[in-house]
Amino acid sequence: MDTFSFLMDGFALAIQPANLIYAAIGVLIGTAVGVLPGIGPALTVALLLPVTFKLDPGGSIIMFAGIYYGGMYGGSTTAILLNTPGESASVVTALEGNKMARAGRGGPALATAAIGSFVAALIATASLALLAPYLVKIAVKFGPWDYFGLMLIAFVTVSATFGSSPLRGLTSLAFGLWLGLMGIDQLTGQARLTFGVPELLDGIEVTTLAVGLFAIGEAFFVASRHLYQPEKPIPVKGSIWMNKEDWKRSWKPWLRGTVIGFPIGALPAGGAEIPTFLSYTIERKLSRKPEEFGHGAIEGVAGPEAANNASAAGTLVPLLTLGLPTSATAAVMLAGFQQYNIQPGPLLFTQHADLVWGLVASLFIANVMLLVLNLPLVGMWVKLLKIPLPWLYAGILVFASMGTIAANPSVMELLLLTGFGVVGFVMRRYDYPIAPAVVGLILGPLADSALRRSLQMSLGDPMILLQHPSSALMIGIALVALIAPFIFRGLSKFRQDED
Amino acid sequence: MPQKTLRIPNRPTAVIAVVLFAIAFITYWDASHMKVRATYGMSASAASYFVAILFAALAIGHLISAFRPSDIDVEVADWMAVGWIGLALAGLIGSIWSGGGFILGSTLLFALTARAFGRKALLVDLCLGAVIGVLVFLLFNKLLTLALPQGPLERLF
Amino acid sequence: MRNHFKLGLLAAVVGSTIGFGTLQASSQDLELTIMAPAGAGGGWDSASRSLQEAMMASGNAKSVQVINVPGAGGTVGLAQFIGSAKGNPSQLLVAGITLVGASISNQSPVDLTQVTPVARLTGDPLVIVVPKDSPIKSMDDLLATIKKDVATTIWVGGSAGGADHILSALVTKAAGADPSKINYVAYSGGGESLAAMLGGQATAGVSGYGEWEGQIKSGDLRALAISYPESIEGIEAKPLKAQGLDIELVNWRGIFAGPGVEGADLDALKSAVEKTVKSAEWKAILKTRGWTDYYAPSDEFKTFIGSETQRVKTILTSIGLAN
Repeated sequence: MDTFSFLMDGFALAIQPANLIYAAIGVLIGTAVGVLPGIGPALTVALLLPVTFKLDPGGSIIMFAGIYYGGMYGGSTTAILLNTPGESASVVTALEGNKMARAGRGGPALATAAIGSFVAALIATASLALLAPYLVKIAVKFGPWDYFGLMLIAFVTVSATFGSSPLRGLTSLAFGLWLGLMGIDQLTGQARLTFGVPELLDGIEVTTLAVGLFAIGEAFFVASRHLYQPEKPIPVKGSIWMNKEDWKRSWKPWLRGTVIGFPIGALPAGGAEIPTFLSYTIERKLSRKPEEFGHGAIEGVAGPEAANNASAAGTLVPLLTLGLPTSATAAVMLAGFQQYNIQPGPLLFTQHADLVWGLVASLFIANVMLLVLNLPLVGMWVKLLKIPLPWLYAGILVFASMGTIAANPSVMELLLLTGFGVVGFVMRRYDYPIAPAVVGLILGPLADSALRRSLQMSLGDPMILLQHPSSALMIGIALVALIAPFIFRGLSKFRQDED
Repeated sequence: MPQKTLRIPNRPTAVIAVVLFAIAFITYWDASHMKVRATYGMSASAASYFVAILFAALAIGHLISAFRPSDIDVEVADWMAVGWIGLALAGLIGSIWSGGGFILGSTLLFALTARAFGRKALLVDLCLGAVIGVLVFLLFNKLLTLALPQGPLERLF
Repeated sequence: MRNHFKLGLLAAVVGSTIGFGTLQASSQDLELTIMAPAGAGGGWDSASRSLQEAMMASGNAKSVQVINVPGAGGTVGLAQFIGSAKGNPSQLLVAGITLVGASISNQSPVDLTQVTPVARLTGDPLVIVVPKDSPIKSMDDLLATIKKDVATTIWVGGSAGGADHILSALVTKAAGADPSKINYVAYSGGGESLAAMLGGQATAGVSGYGEWEGQIKSGDLRALAISYPESIEGIEAKPLKAQGLDIELVNWRGIFAGPGVEGADLDALKSAVEKTVKSAEWKAILKTRGWTDYYAPSDEFKTFIGSETQRVKTILTSIGLAN
């Protein structure tokens, strides 16, 4: 049987009425739990997986797909509405999405996230079905040097989030890099900056930093200005739906986000964060209204959300073909497979083709369900912001700390959260951008180990980074991206002088 | 003795410069005390030295800009409100540290944060916070089986 | 990213707790708490949950709770356990060889010799592999390659100082090369190092057999040897011992009571665990999880811990991770 007829068999299973109901239930509870701050998609799926144990394999895998997509969508809802990203991949969504919500455009922000996720997941799932066996052959060839090249590109793109002053932007980035040093070095076992505190040996959690800087820092900041500049009730401007211009500004970012997200997600150590940064930078560069970035640009939600979902589908490539879980969500998917005694890996596509295609078909169905069920909910979510300010922020703090406690119930973690909140307050007060710090924490350790693994394999010869054409190319792109703006600025200045 | 004041137009930036120098120094000190060496390639200390140098450079940058007029307007802050939020978070941490449990902690956190934003009805907010705390606890512990810190209140359920 | 796996693997765990939280009461009335000194989803956590399930299902304990205290390769949990479980016969700890190594390389003030061994439970083999198109066809080839140039023999495996690292150091030493010169590239787990193996970036790789079983069976990796002392049914690769190398390294897990638990209290725990390990429920769990039975009673386990600590310390010192 060929791919297409397998897929049709999968759909035949998925559109049975009972299975459609399972998909609907999965999407609903997935969204409901995923929307709790601090609970990202991975934890959502993990928590709800047991619910699916009780169904027959077909129904259960369909509900599973529903929970998975529901959880993904729920995660971006809190980032947009409450500025508390539940996972590192929705940090970028919070940047513009929360600004939109503050400007009374929470509805369009949620809608573009939902539809963008839908479009991305649709295309990425189709690519998964057709390309997985080929993509994985390329993906495993990606050596440490190539990862280092990719990290360099990602680092250069961070400057897009720097705001008005490069000095303050770099300082924020450096703070993230510094936090990234903390803990046991994976390559040598050497502890860095742990000061003898055993709780620091595992390093700093990205979500602790993000929630501390974003949600808690924000609460401090708003409270400090409340007396003098009372925050006005958030207005709802125009429709809560996307208008014509929103559509026009969203569709290209959705597609670009998908194209960036899927292949990077398919890399064994690609992850979902880097594509969201890349997408954000590209949208900012290409936008006709770059001045809106930082104040709620819809492209800045549409692109990264699409990239996030596409990379989530991308992580299924190494998972299904190698049995290699490369993200939290993929690790949960692996557990999901194992409950049917299926071991993902090189033999999966030949031995269990029916189940693989059943899953792919269910992902399609769940995706449609998610859109149908959640778009009407947008109106309800947006009303959340009408809660009186004292209660809204009190609620945000309770939910933010709850998420941290649920992940790791230790006082140390709460102290860190509070400390990052204070730092976030100071950074806001003196106009330091927040996002580069989070980016530094994510990318720093990755770049560090990629570079050192390369040098270890080459016995210390740095030329290894240039000997492989792929990594040389990526380092070249990073250099060009770094230098080009200066040259263009110089050129335009030169032209002005000539005029 | 004539008062010879060094006029720094941008005081906060100068303070941040000092903090950055301190971080640079701590990072350098930490890196110079690392014992494990990589046999091939770079050791774990390389990244630390890089970050230390970066911080030193940023500190110098801040120091220079501290002598220029500030390019941002720093608003007057309501330090009372900031203090209340600090107290709210301290309430949560204290409650969990001393074994008071999650519900008590989040009740304090909720009510004191609402106070920071100018609400005076502390009793109402305490009740509301307690209700939210209990609901969250039940949701997490019973429905999702995630263990939140338990205190005397939690053991009642 | 480093915490993805901790979080992600929660699934298995939550599954087991919901399913087994309310199983039948028992003849024994032990009410126990098992600490897994790691996050949800890893090996110690699943061992703790499995033991919980088996003890309650086989009626050897009335109630068993599992708590997770993650951090620093288990040393955070161990330190807490030594403090809270002193003389308390209702608290247990699950730990394994990784904690022995972590105590040494983190220079932790606590180690497993400070708690009371109750029983050794499981022990899984590690496997040594090479890429499928590697010129290395046997252990002898690998040893010759190492002897020729230890620096260009690139090993990949799990984190520094872990069981994978220790095994590759033992093999390097057996080849007659200096283990401190080993070129071992550490990855965060069996997944990433697998990609490095399949991409042909390494000479040889080490991992738990189960993690790479799929690739070994499909022929993408060539298994040279397992580190278990005897052959195991269903695994084609021969033990190192059968290939003339005096090396064995088992990824064992065991259960411990607090310091100062002795006499009748300890006997009750010993017999409850022993009966559980002999039960059909436990055998079924071993089968589904793919774990190998490696039971040893308290006294034998105690001697074993002493010798294992010494051995791990020696090898970590020889590769420069401990002084």
